[in-house]
Amino acid sequence: MRRAGLLTCLVCACAGAQVRYEDIRKGPGADWLTYAGNYQGWRYSPLTQITAENAGSLAPQWVYHVPNAKGLRTSPIVYKGVMYVTNSNAVYAIDAASGRLIWQYLDPRAKKQGVNRGAAILGDRVYFTTSDNYLVALDRQTGGVIFSKQFADANLGITSTSAPLIARDKVIVGSAGGDSGMRGFVAALSAETGEEIWRTYTVPAKGEPGAESWGEFIEWGGGGTWLSGTFDPELNTLYWTTGNPWPDFTGTPRKGDNLFTCSLLALDLDTGKWKWHFQFTPHDTHDWDAQSWPVLIDMEFRGKMRKVVLHANRNGFFYALDRTTGEFLRATKLIDNVTWASGIDDKGRPISLPGKDPTPEGNWVCPSVKGATNWMGQTYHPGTGLLYVITLEQCGMYTSSSKKPEPMKNFGGGGATEEGGQVILRAIDPKTAKRVWEYPMTGFGRMWTGTVSTAGGVVFTGDDDGHLVALDAMTGEHLWHFNMGELLTASPITYEANGKQYVAIASATAVFSFGLFEPASRTQSTKITIRK
Amino acid sequence: MRFLAILSLVLPLAAQHGRYLNDSQNPAIGNSAAIAAGAKLYATSCAACHGPDGSGGRGPNLVRRPLWHPLSDDDIFRTIRNGVPGADMPPTKLPDDQTWNLVAFIHSLIGPASENKVPGNPEAGERIFRGSNAGCANCHAIRGRGGRMGPDLTDIGSRPLALIKDSILKRSKDLYLLGNEGVTVLLNNGQTIEGVARNRSNYSLQVLDLKGNLHLISMRDVRELTISERSLMPGDYAQRLSKQDLEDLLAYLARQSVRPPETAPEKEKN
Repeated sequence: MRRAGLLTCLVCACAGAQVRYEDIRKGPGADWLTYAGNYQGWRYSPLTQITAENAGSLAPQWVYHVPNAKGLRTSPIVYKGVMYVTNSNAVYAIDAASGRLIWQYLDPRAKKQGVNRGAAILGDRVYFTTSDNYLVALDRQTGGVIFSKQFADANLGITSTSAPLIARDKVIVGSAGGDSGMRGFVAALSAETGEEIWRTYTVPAKGEPGAESWGEFIEWGGGGTWLSGTFDPELNTLYWTTGNPWPDFTGTPRKGDNLFTCSLLALDLDTGKWKWHFQFTPHDTHDWDAQSWPVLIDMEFRGKMRKVVLHANRNGFFYALDRTTGEFLRATKLIDNVTWASGIDDKGRPISLPGKDPTPEGNWVCPSVKGATNWMGQTYHPGTGLLYVITLEQCGMYTSSSKKPEPMKNFGGGGATEEGGQVILRAIDPKTAKRVWEYPMTGFGRMWTGTVSTAGGVVFTGDDDGHLVALDAMTGEHLWHFNMGELLTASPITYEANGKQYVAIASATAVFSFGLFEPASRTQSTKITIRK
Repeated sequence: MRFLAILSLVLPLAAQHGRYLNDSQNPAIGNSAAIAAGAKLYATSCAACHGPDGSGGRGPNLVRRPLWHPLSDDDIFRTIRNGVPGADMPPTKLPDDQTWNLVAFIHSLIGPASENKVPGNPEAGERIFRGSNAGCANCHAIRGRGGRMGPDLTDIGSRPLALIKDSILKRSKDLYLLGNEGVTVLLNNGQTIEGVARNRSNYSLQVLDLKGNLHLISMRDVRELTISERSLMPGDYAQRLSKQDLEDLLAYLARQSVRPPETAPEKEKN
């Protein structure tokens, strides 16, 4: 079985296979071609070798220690048995069956260091962005540079952390740095040349629509787009989330809703033009960026099938919107401890409670600054019909500063503590927004790892203590765990190489890959000769 | 086996290549006028022993040395000033500013070739790179154009000029060729694959074949593996290229950088 798989793979390699847009659109199979697995943001795989029945015999297959890594955020992608992982200004191509390095690309001359969430792939090229905003296209088989092209100026407070999203012939990139003041944007670059096709700013310029929702500092207003988004090929629409307004914790200089921060944007893929927007947290003062995955599903809502976008938001609420029109459908509490708003009104606007803004002395508010969830990947399982979301029940003390805001000086207008709390994986039925099961975790309330689910009926996630955990997708029962020995700060994926299913996840410093245990067989050594 | 053990050591070092232990705050460092003045002094006082491009001769190679022992500008200054007791390197009586000009020049030699002035005609160099006499592009690609068997050269200008020259003329000594062993693989099913082993162990083998396609192989499936002791890089460029051709080729390679050139930036001092 395994051997037959290998030979097939050799033939594929010689054929010079290429990743087509249609392959990405199809979603994961043996390969995992885009950050969230598919365009809908499901992180779901149809692989069935690992099941709820046999997951108990999972065993580590290999570990690749990423040089100089700390707090890796990378979600690997896999194509034809090669895994691509990123670190700050670096890409590593690893044999996905053995964990051996094939090539590496390092850009030690990048002007910044920072986190990187992963690579993208199209044709024969692997794409990633450097911390100083270069889109780099590499030959997927050799790591050779095809182009390296800057799309934003790091001197304007902009940095790049998200995995690019490939949609048709475009590479969609975002912008980070909103906690120190910058102007956020989403941009589409040509996959062929890296040239800019369009750029849409998330905060209006003075005089543009939405500018009236700001006061001073609109030009440094933030609205970073530091997480990739999702894509509906039929509607030709990108769904992208925006970050907090700046300064984060002081709302006084920016009276108004601060459009279009803490929002979900629906953009036309061809032009970048606005189709609609929905602001979750108007005039945010708690640093609740809208960065978590907009998950696209079609479901019945009040007796009618709707194209829906689900959004588990940092502000503590779980939203369902019509993704064609942006119409607000429903919002319910994602976590139990929400003290800043009593609910969401029928237009989708939070019913804010008075006295919940940060103060110079400190104000105790739930959720904490990290939010009720965050950027880590959620997973939607079409078999169980459930959405699995990592949530955090935590509160914190929010303080404001009266100092005059200065952009690009690490000034956030105050600060926030994160105290105690508990991470809980929650299985939610999107139709009813009801919790079906919960998996509470021990740990310090850090919450930085995501999920993946499989047709084998398993949900994989990292817990708050550094274990990779396998749970029964139907019941939430524990099936298996492995102590990774350090905090997990990335999301798992699953793939197949040579006929074997693997589950891989980056820990803080290394990439681990797991598969079902198989006893090793006795083999003869290969004859190796040296040719003079 | 040993080759690959060395490879894993070399790569992190390669990454720090041209990096200093610490840069001096002296205004000469990175200043183009100081570097030019230092170059003149170097040509008359140092080049005879250390080679015109720092690649060594009677005296040590100044460019390769920091690969293993990172330097600081202050150390170079002290060595020029005091000499090396017990060796042929004499002390000097150069005034401070001239000594710093010399340090600035040596600093630039160790830095990326793309950031230094390099003699030769880069357009002529590209013709040599892509032409059939040198045949560089048969194996090496720059921005996606060229062969895939040899190391990608799109960012070769990030390395010091003397090391690029070394790699062309002294292939067997080039540390960067490790991880690029020429191999012939005979599989149990009779199939043969020829190419370059990007990595290998007793258990797995990652080969880029002659067409530039990658093969991921379990050693269980390999009947026989033949490894070429010598690098696939031709060893006769010293004869094949004229002095002018080599200079032009180096001028072209020195320009290759994934970053826009930073031509001797004037450092801000504060």
